[in-house]
Amino acid sequence: MTAPSPTARPPGVRPRWLLAAPVLVTVAALIVVPYVNILVMSFRVPSTTKPYLPGFTFGNYTKALADPDFFYFELLFDTLRLALTITFLCLVVAYPVAFHLARTTSRWKGVLYALVLSPLLVGVVIRSFGWIILLANNGLINQSLKAWGMAPLPLMYNEFGVVLALVHVFLPFMILPLMGAIQGIDPRLEEAARSLGAGPAKVFWRVLFPLSMPGVQSGCILVFVLSCGAYVTPALLGAGRVHTMTTEVITLLDQFLWPFGAALALILSVVGLAAVAIYARLSGRLMRGLA
Amino acid sequence: MTKLKLDGLQKHYGTVAAVKGIDLDVAEGELVSLLGPSGCGKTTTLRCVAGFELPTGGRITFDGNEVTMLPPERRDIGMVFQNYALFPHMTVRENLRFGLEMRKVDAASMERRVADVLGMVQLTSMETRYPRQLSGGQQQRVALARALVIEPKLLLLDEPLANLDAKLRDEMRFFIRSLQKRVGITTLYVTHDQAEAMVMSDRIVVMFDGLIHQVGGARDIYDRPATRQVASFIGLSNFVTGRVAGRDGSLWRLETSFGTISCGAGIAPGAGSPATAMVRPEAIDLSAAPVAGAFPGRVSERFFLGNLVDYRITMSDGTLLQVQQPATAAFAPGDEVHATLPAERAWLVRDDAA
Ligand SMILES: Nc1ncnc2c1ncn2[C@@H]1O[C@H](COP(=O)(O)OP(=O)(O)OP(=O)(O)O)[C@@H](O)[C@H]1O
Ligand SMILES: [Mg+2]
Repeated sequence: MTAPSPTARPPGVRPRWLLAAPVLVTVAALIVVPYVNILVMSFRVPSTTKPYLPGFTFGNYTKALADPDFFYFELLFDTLRLALTITFLCLVVAYPVAFHLARTTSRWKGVLYALVLSPLLVGVVIRSFGWIILLANNGLINQSLKAWGMAPLPLMYNEFGVVLALVHVFLPFMILPLMGAIQGIDPRLEEAARSLGAGPAKVFWRVLFPLSMPGVQSGCILVFVLSCGAYVTPALLGAGRVHTMTTEVITLLDQFLWPFGAALALILSVVGLAAVAIYARLSGRLMRGLA
Repeated sequence: MTKLKLDGLQKHYGTVAAVKGIDLDVAEGELVSLLGPSGCGKTTTLRCVAGFELPTGGRITFDGNEVTMLPPERRDIGMVFQNYALFPHMTVRENLRFGLEMRKVDAASMERRVADVLGMVQLTSMETRYPRQLSGGQQQRVALARALVIEPKLLLLDEPLANLDAKLRDEMRFFIRSLQKRVGITTLYVTHDQAEAMVMSDRIVVMFDGLIHQVGGARDIYDRPATRQVASFIGLSNFVTGRVAGRDGSLWRLETSFGTISCGAGIAPGAGSPATAMVRPEAIDLSAAPVAGAFPGRVSERFFLGNLVDYRITMSDGTLLQVQQPATAAFAPGDEVHATLPAERAWLVRDDAA
């Protein structure tokens, strides 16, 4: 008698990867195919009468990367700077909220949790219009300032307005992972640190923050990626005066420069992914003890 | 070394009174256990001493200095938690250094102190491991080392052995006790395990429902319990109720419905007042033949416990006594026996239920 080979299956039992088939098909159809399409398109020749002409060129990439004015480099830099600013502000604002939500024993916990999620229930367009009503030159805030005899402030059509609105829009994506991470930290650890002589600040920086790193990491990556790709809010609150890679790509599409837009979009994706990878490595080093 | 003093310590959570005013003095280098059933306020008391809870009444002093409202980081205490609470993102060494870094100890003495304490808990070879790479017993010793390395004024332990298996628990009892004696640190130890308290402590504080019922050595608490609750919490006991008939020197005569017995007492009941005496099952002697001062009864049940035989004896008035005798003595259910309740092992207890 021979031993059955390790890969042999009893008849009628299907291979396990079949279970993943629906996911694989969906991912292939909705992510891989469009990306391949964009990749192919970025090497095509632009046209103003069709999406693109056949043929193969590096022209779109050389136009973006070898631009003598460094226009697109600056745009990329601005986009990353904006995304980093938003990520950092989100982290700073979200942390206390997440900590409170994770640790509260109040019976309002459910309500507070729903409040944190509630911005997600309203479309991003509506939320951006909400901010416009507040921040516009003749919006609520500036009207109130005028009524009190003060000079109006430039709150919109600039980075300030875009950052403010995007921090608000992306806050839940920071709060939720942070909350999950903080909930997993045993409150006894904070007590142990205090019994060893650590004041509240030391407890935070030496114990709480390092232990919440998994949440900090996922929250920051989510918000960073979302900020890099944000279009609606910068377009509405920047109203053509705040430029990012994403708004630029859309402008190019409007001008029927699809292949060039595709090239820019891919450059942003690659740089964004690289930033995430570097960040994940750095923060991963801080989490070495966490199982 | 530090003296700890609690003066009328109270802690209320809203309308719940967890600690209802306790007074306690712990001498320098003494290990005192807080023993009592679940919910009696042991942890709350310990957390007040640590500073994690602010008392709603009373005072806590270390060596005469009031610390009642001081935050924990300014009390200079070492605390060991039931789940150890080791920092998971730090190695054993980093865990031990944490408290020293907070105290800004210089690098050379830090190295030396960490090495000394690691040696004491026999974990020198483990210093670069993370807590999750250690067994429960090893984590326990790291927790102890982390609390001791800062040379605190007081060592506080809250059921530190509750998560260990029975064999390791036995070992750790002796380990902690001998370490505590060697270091000579004043220690407050919370447990609900009476055997643990008896083995480890200089004195035991028995608590019920937020109040101290008795403070004393293991012998005091076992042989001379102050209250009925203390007696029934520690070991097995028989309670015999009756009326105080009078006094012979240091002994009291208690008139019960099966006869008059003599017993010691820490209280002074008025003649004629109702009282309850406690007698441990192994203190009662059984004999087949009548003996002077023995009371007749009948064996109603018998259980073999290995080293002991456990009898239920029904006395002439129907009172049921539990008696434990060495397995060599043999009475069968239905046998007539004569039970002696020795005066030196019978003790009048305060009985709030009576
Ligand atoms: N944070 C709190 N809020 C409200 N009540 C509390 C709180 N902490 C403790 N209590 C109550 O105080 C009483 C004493 O609790 P404590 O934890 O001190 O008991 P314990 O003696 O340590 O019990 P165990 O052996 O179960 O640990 C209990 O009735 C408990 O329900
Ligand atoms: Mg407790």
